[in-house]
Amino acid sequence: MSSLVEVYKEKAIATACQIAEFNSFEEAIPHLLSIMEKKAPCELLYEEDVEKGPNGPNGCPTRVQKVIAAPEIGEYYEPLKKAFEEKGYKVVDKDLRHYLAGIDMGIAIAKKGIAQSGTCMVNAGSEDTRLATMVCESCVLILKKSQIMPTVVSMADVLREEMSDPTNYITFISGPSRTADIERVGAIGVHGPLEMHIVLLEG
Amino acid sequence: MKDSIKTAKDYKEYIDEALNDQFLRRTLDKFAVDYRASREAMFSEIDGKEIIRQVADAKDNACQHMEELYSKFKAEAEKRGVIVHRAKDAKEANEIIAEIVRKHGAKKIIKSKSMTAEETHLNQRLEQDKCDITETDLGEWLIQLRHEGPSHMVMPAIHLSRYQVAEDMSNVTGKKYDPEDIQRLVKVARVELRNRFIEGEIGISGANFCIAENGTFAIATNEGNARMVTTLPKVHIALAGLDKLIPDFETALTALTVLPRNATGQRITSYVTFINGAGECKIGDNDKKELHIVFLDNGRTEIAKDPLFRQVFRCVRCGACANVCPVFRMVGGHKMGHIYIGAIGLILTYFFHGKDKAAILAQNCIGCESCKDICAGGIDLPRLISEIRNMTAKEVGQPMQIAFVGKIMKNRKLFHRLLKFARFSQGPVKAQDGFIRHLPDALFGKHQFKSLPSLADKAFREIYAEYAYKLENPKMRVALFAGCAQDFIFPNHLVAFMKLMKAHNVQVEFPEEQTCCGLPLQMLALKEVAVEVARQNVQAIDASKYDYIVTLCASCASHLSHNYKNFLGDECAEFSSKVKDFSSFMNDIVKIDPSLFHKSTEKVTVHIPCHQARSLGVMQQPRDLIAQVAEYTPSKEEASCCGFGGTYSAKFPEISKELLGNKIRRIEESQAERIVTDCPGCTMQIRGGLHKKGSNVKVSHIAELLADNLK
Repeated sequence: MSSLVEVYKEKAIATACQIAEFNSFEEAIPHLLSIMEKKAPCELLYEEDVEKGPNGPNGCPTRVQKVIAAPEIGEYYEPLKKAFEEKGYKVVDKDLRHYLAGIDMGIAIAKKGIAQSGTCMVNAGSEDTRLATMVCESCVLILKKSQIMPTVVSMADVLREEMSDPTNYITFISGPSRTADIERVGAIGVHGPLEMHIVLLEG
Repeated sequence: MKDSIKTAKDYKEYIDEALNDQFLRRTLDKFAVDYRASREAMFSEIDGKEIIRQVADAKDNACQHMEELYSKFKAEAEKRGVIVHRAKDAKEANEIIAEIVRKHGAKKIIKSKSMTAEETHLNQRLEQDKCDITETDLGEWLIQLRHEGPSHMVMPAIHLSRYQVAEDMSNVTGKKYDPEDIQRLVKVARVELRNRFIEGEIGISGANFCIAENGTFAIATNEGNARMVTTLPKVHIALAGLDKLIPDFETALTALTVLPRNATGQRITSYVTFINGAGECKIGDNDKKELHIVFLDNGRTEIAKDPLFRQVFRCVRCGACANVCPVFRMVGGHKMGHIYIGAIGLILTYFFHGKDKAAILAQNCIGCESCKDICAGGIDLPRLISEIRNMTAKEVGQPMQIAFVGKIMKNRKLFHRLLKFARFSQGPVKAQDGFIRHLPDALFGKHQFKSLPSLADKAFREIYAEYAYKLENPKMRVALFAGCAQDFIFPNHLVAFMKLMKAHNVQVEFPEEQTCCGLPLQMLALKEVAVEVARQNVQAIDASKYDYIVTLCASCASHLSHNYKNFLGDECAEFSSKVKDFSSFMNDIVKIDPSLFHKSTEKVTVHIPCHQARSLGVMQQPRDLIAQVAEYTPSKEEASCCGFGGTYSAKFPEISKELLGNKIRRIEESQAERIVTDCPGCTMQIRGGLHKKGSNVKVSHIAELLADNLK
């Protein structure tokens, strides 16, 4: 298993993910807080009735209170909410359509990882999970080491299992939103996240 | 959109325009080199050939079961609340979509990239209904701002410079942007398109895979725009060709293992979305998405019945056939297809966008086989392009001169008599150094970039008797296939071969009834004549008498071994299996006897002909041969096309010239004193180019290099 984890880390880093390893989610919370603290306030790309700060680098106003969206993360939610609210951040877990102008940080659970490509598989059947991982500036995916699969092809049965729900929406995410559409120069953060963090947990 | 592929003359002018676009030339040149390197790195991690074979098999199978897969997909998707439509042609698909849009009274439409929607010209149809359509893939958005079509299937705006992009963006937003700051330009799309996403009433996407087993479809993107398009509006319409139907997840994931590696040198795209059923949408009725999928036929069920052409459905739209195409590298995508770009574009244009356009486009293939070598679905693209040429020649017609060539070539004696007459008549223009002097500009204006060789005073067939020999106990017997160019222009290549074989105790015979291999005829869309001369050669050379049939022309070797099988089937099985190119025959079978050679200090580089490198898979042998008699000096892009391409250089001299220019630059960079190759056509092209430049670099056949160093 350890070699799969090593391969996973190498390939995920190659897709411009930043990886941190922890024994438990509680231990990861200070790491997430520090990412949030360091990041510039989210630029509002759409009109929102909220207290605004100075314009960001793309000429859009910023939101004064930083927002973290963490829908459908189960037992991780309460400790996360407590820690982030203590620091004055807004923590939301539903109705993310109210935040389409932009979210500072979006968190989701990666049910599986793929070592071959450094990929996280996110079950985004819930609209809020989709939005949390799309309209955020900084995306955090939580992955357990035991859930790393070797290859893309080895995911067939996993997908089959996931799709046994009446409907579903599964996404493989491998790094932040990117493009090379202008003169083939690589650029990060076209429509989706500007940065991608993976929290690798033991177990 | 500008449509300049109406007549062959317009097309030529259009090509000149591209060749003079310095930005495009630099961009595509750099891309061609970078792409090779990144793809190679990505494929070193997987068994590429095996996975490509699996993709080909799986997609062939899917194509043969298209109707079953469609029924299965439809039933499974409907169970999950999806509305499944089927359109017989582009117009019907557009009407179905327009009707859904109309029913919702929607005007604001957001789209993620769909080549199929480009195929049907969906945007133009919706614009008639006063819809405001926003392409959300950055490249697609950029070309939409300019009202252009894509110039590459994966990088639709590769033809645009940062300056054009900055200017186009300023025109939309009224703000000024620094064109040097590409990172910031990308963010302009982020800012400008977010409100489009939010206010979009209908989302339209394509689909990369439609997985029948449970009605799931998958979309691969790097930007994440497809996730927005399929999530935010309450209605989502996916448009997919029937060829996107596959049975199961295994097939999708196998194709996904090669598609991004082949397309952009990535292990996987940043996002791959699998949509199964009409899922949650908080602004939809009952919190549900209204999800439509429109399957487009547009001739696909007919193509699926064609035993040769159905392999086009193996295409996963990775765009790699353009990435490695030497012609694409020179002229870009707008000149290499109509909507679908690259080698596959030349073919699909015939089926989807008209035979007249295809008749012109299909001429612009140099036949180097780079695309076949790289295709993620293992499609025999050069063969299909050649078939398209044949079909359009019949349907659209062909110039008189070409039909005349066909008549001559059927008759070997007449053909050879004419060549001898040409030798006589070239007297007045022939110079001492083996090149033709001063050609009349009116006839050869565009060919003046290289010196053209004169025909030899005596053809090989006229001097063969002087070099023929009989060995007592030869270690093997071979038949020499001379090929027209060596027989009549470069008999010295063959003389060198005779000397080498005699020294190595190999008996050579030259069956004199042989004629042209037929490859130039195939390039001229004279397939029936090509088959006829193939038969003549198989009869002229009794394969059972020889261990091998050797040719010093890699193109002949490839044609005699591969295409003959397509033409004649079992009739030439023994013949084709015995054909060998010179380099692999000399290096692997005869094996150099070092005691017979001097080792010189001459610095020698190599040009590996297209057909040798790709069709025959021979790369290392020429280098090994050089290293045994001289100083092998590598040059960059040794196996890239020299621009000859047989009759191609006569049809498109302007492109041929540019390809030759690249080749000569690489030779000069290597600082070699001599360049060798294994093909008379490449010899002619490269020697002509260097002669015109007044270069001192010597050009020889590899056999000549070896013979020069015989003790």
